[in-house]
Amino acid sequence: MATVSFQQATRVYPNSERPAVDALDLDVADGEFLVLVGPSGCGKSTSLRMLAGLEEVDSGSVLIGDRDVTDSPPKQRDIAMVFQNYALYPHMTVGENMGFALKLAGVKKTEIAGRVAAAAKILDLEAYLERRPKALSGGQRQRVAMGRAIVRQPQVFLMDEPLSNLDAKLRVQTRTQIAALVKRLGTTTVYVTHDQVEAMTMGDRVAVLKDGVLLQCAAPAELYDRPANVFVAGFIGSPAMNLVTGAAVEGGVRLGGTVLPVPRDRLARAAAASGRVTVGFRPESLQLVGPGEGFEVVVDVAEHLGSDAYLYTRLAGADPDDALHPADVVVRTEPRSSVVPGQSLWLGVPPDALHVFDPATSQRVD
Amino acid sequence: MTTIALPGTDSTTATPQAAPPVRRSGAKGGTGGRAGRAGPVTYTLLTLSALVSIFPLYWTMVAGSHTNAEIAATPPPFLPDASLFENIGAALEQAPIGLAILNSVVVAGSITVGTVLFCTLAGFAFAKLRFRGKGLLLSLVIGTMMVPTQLAVIPLFMMIAELQWVNQLQAVVLPTLVSAFGVFFMRQYLISALPDELLEAGRVDGASTARIFWSIVVPVARPAMAVLAMLTFLTAWNDFFWPIIALTNSNPTVQVALAGLGSGYVPQRAVIMAGTLLGTLPVLIVFAVLGKQIVGGIMQGAVKG
Ligand SMILES: Nc1ncnc2c1ncn2[C@@H]1O[C@H](COP(=O)(O)OP(=O)(O)O)[C@@H](O)[C@H]1O
Ligand SMILES: [Mg+2]
Repeated sequence: MATVSFQQATRVYPNSERPAVDALDLDVADGEFLVLVGPSGCGKSTSLRMLAGLEEVDSGSVLIGDRDVTDSPPKQRDIAMVFQNYALYPHMTVGENMGFALKLAGVKKTEIAGRVAAAAKILDLEAYLERRPKALSGGQRQRVAMGRAIVRQPQVFLMDEPLSNLDAKLRVQTRTQIAALVKRLGTTTVYVTHDQVEAMTMGDRVAVLKDGVLLQCAAPAELYDRPANVFVAGFIGSPAMNLVTGAAVEGGVRLGGTVLPVPRDRLARAAAASGRVTVGFRPESLQLVGPGEGFEVVVDVAEHLGSDAYLYTRLAGADPDDALHPADVVVRTEPRSSVVPGQSLWLGVPPDALHVFDPATSQRVD
Repeated sequence: MTTIALPGTDSTTATPQAAPPVRRSGAKGGTGGRAGRAGPVTYTLLTLSALVSIFPLYWTMVAGSHTNAEIAATPPPFLPDASLFENIGAALEQAPIGLAILNSVVVAGSITVGTVLFCTLAGFAFAKLRFRGKGLLLSLVIGTMMVPTQLAVIPLFMMIAELQWVNQLQAVVLPTLVSAFGVFFMRQYLISALPDELLEAGRVDGASTARIFWSIVVPVARPAMAVLAMLTFLTAWNDFFWPIIALTNSNPTVQVALAGLGSGYVPQRAVIMAGTLLGTLPVLIVFAVLGKQIVGGIMQGAVKG
């Protein structure tokens, strides 16, 4: 068990001007499950590989426990890694794959066998120990990759999108299994994914990266309730939070033809730089209100999912060609509502469900 | 000399010939099973190419059992007879063919082991390791492929003369222990067949680079190593130019010894042919025994891609 700490850790790939990971500051507590999430190319894998010792750290440092491992090779870091494509040794059996690291470490044969058997039991792989990886299904290979990590009983688990090669259903199952297993072992884990649902369901805390920069690191609920900036607000949650930008006017922000009320002090601070305000509200927090009370939208499409329904709407009176300021608003409603396309609705946002951002900085205003 | 190329032509024609039935069954059934049913056309083609491949060997036997005059007659004889064994006996008397075969086994064997080992090592380094001067070194290696052997022979001979290695086997073995082609071939194979993550998994598991090479790279490279071994062994066995310069008939390889057979005032073709047959047999045996595995290695590599 150990803590992990990135301190101003930066990686600039050769022949590239922009850092792939830019001055990353991140502390992972002992036994914590931390998820790194962000769109493809944001530097998640690079961060993880810096922690693994597979990628150079150009400046700053990386600590595991109290030890500065910035310049240590992977084998001195006491970490185990699960790769996206599993990277199982093709010519070794499942058992040999899992025991390879222990064999290299000079662990006695009987102990290796015992630990491999124990891991195989946990992962339901006992029947496959003599097989080669190519004779396994995707889910089984994934479990072997997990097994290879857990037999080592390392200080830290590193996992780089370990579920992305599974089909959707298996992914959901395995996600819960991994989370439960890691919790039980109590090992510090850094988990990389581009899937925000995975991040929200698995992580004790979630760190959102974009373009190599850490935007926010917080518990899933905090991330959801108080996103620190426009990007996090739009990235976390599905369907995404509605984000619309409009001119600040007396008492609120102009949305299409109507004005959405925004508390006075927040409005003033958010609009200080640009005279405009970005407001965000989640599809599920919108309420149908009487005409004239909130803001008006026109329904484009109604999607009925059984448990609930989503209305894809446009702000009434908005310029449809203004690509800079999208006017789309998604609303979650009762499953069997009788709303039809073309219909106009009035929507209200409860004050505590309204997120306000400064369009000049994209930062949240409280 | 002509028949000695036989195993090479045989194996190169055999591979593409074997491919169509497999491809067909895959397209038809989609099961990818081995039991693809080949049609009569396939069999006719296979039979024809087998006959074409076998003919030179057969003709060696025919020519090895008849005198110069009989071979020159019209129509020529079509069947070998027992005088083949007399001629083989004559060949064994005229040249140290037994020693030559032993020497050739040692020479071709050492060259094959060395080439496969060194080319795999270098190919791995060029394919997957980061080091300074990699690009320059690789261009140098590839550049040497463009220098013809003939150009290097005189300096090479001066060197081995200086070392007093003339007429010793190491004079033939050492200069060809590693080949630029082999390095390039292994590099290309490993670039595509060996995922970086496998090496990274090895490093995270605590393996040194040497350990990674033996435990991870070599098993993955095995199909390509088998192909390289086959090509290298054949080339080394059939090599004539450098061995005839570096060795003499008192310590020859097979090709050098065979050259000695034909050197009389009126060369007896039958004796030459009988000797040639003897010199080809070991290679044929190697292929009869290992052929399946070698072709299997090629196919396995191709399927895995
Ligand atoms: N080996 C490399 N050489 C140069 N650039 C790289 C290399 N690996 C990744 N990058 C770049 O660094 C950025 C971050 O990559 P990565 O960490 O793999 O992203 P993620 O895992 O979040 O999708 C990307 O812009 C990518 O193109
Ligand atoms: Mg990645």
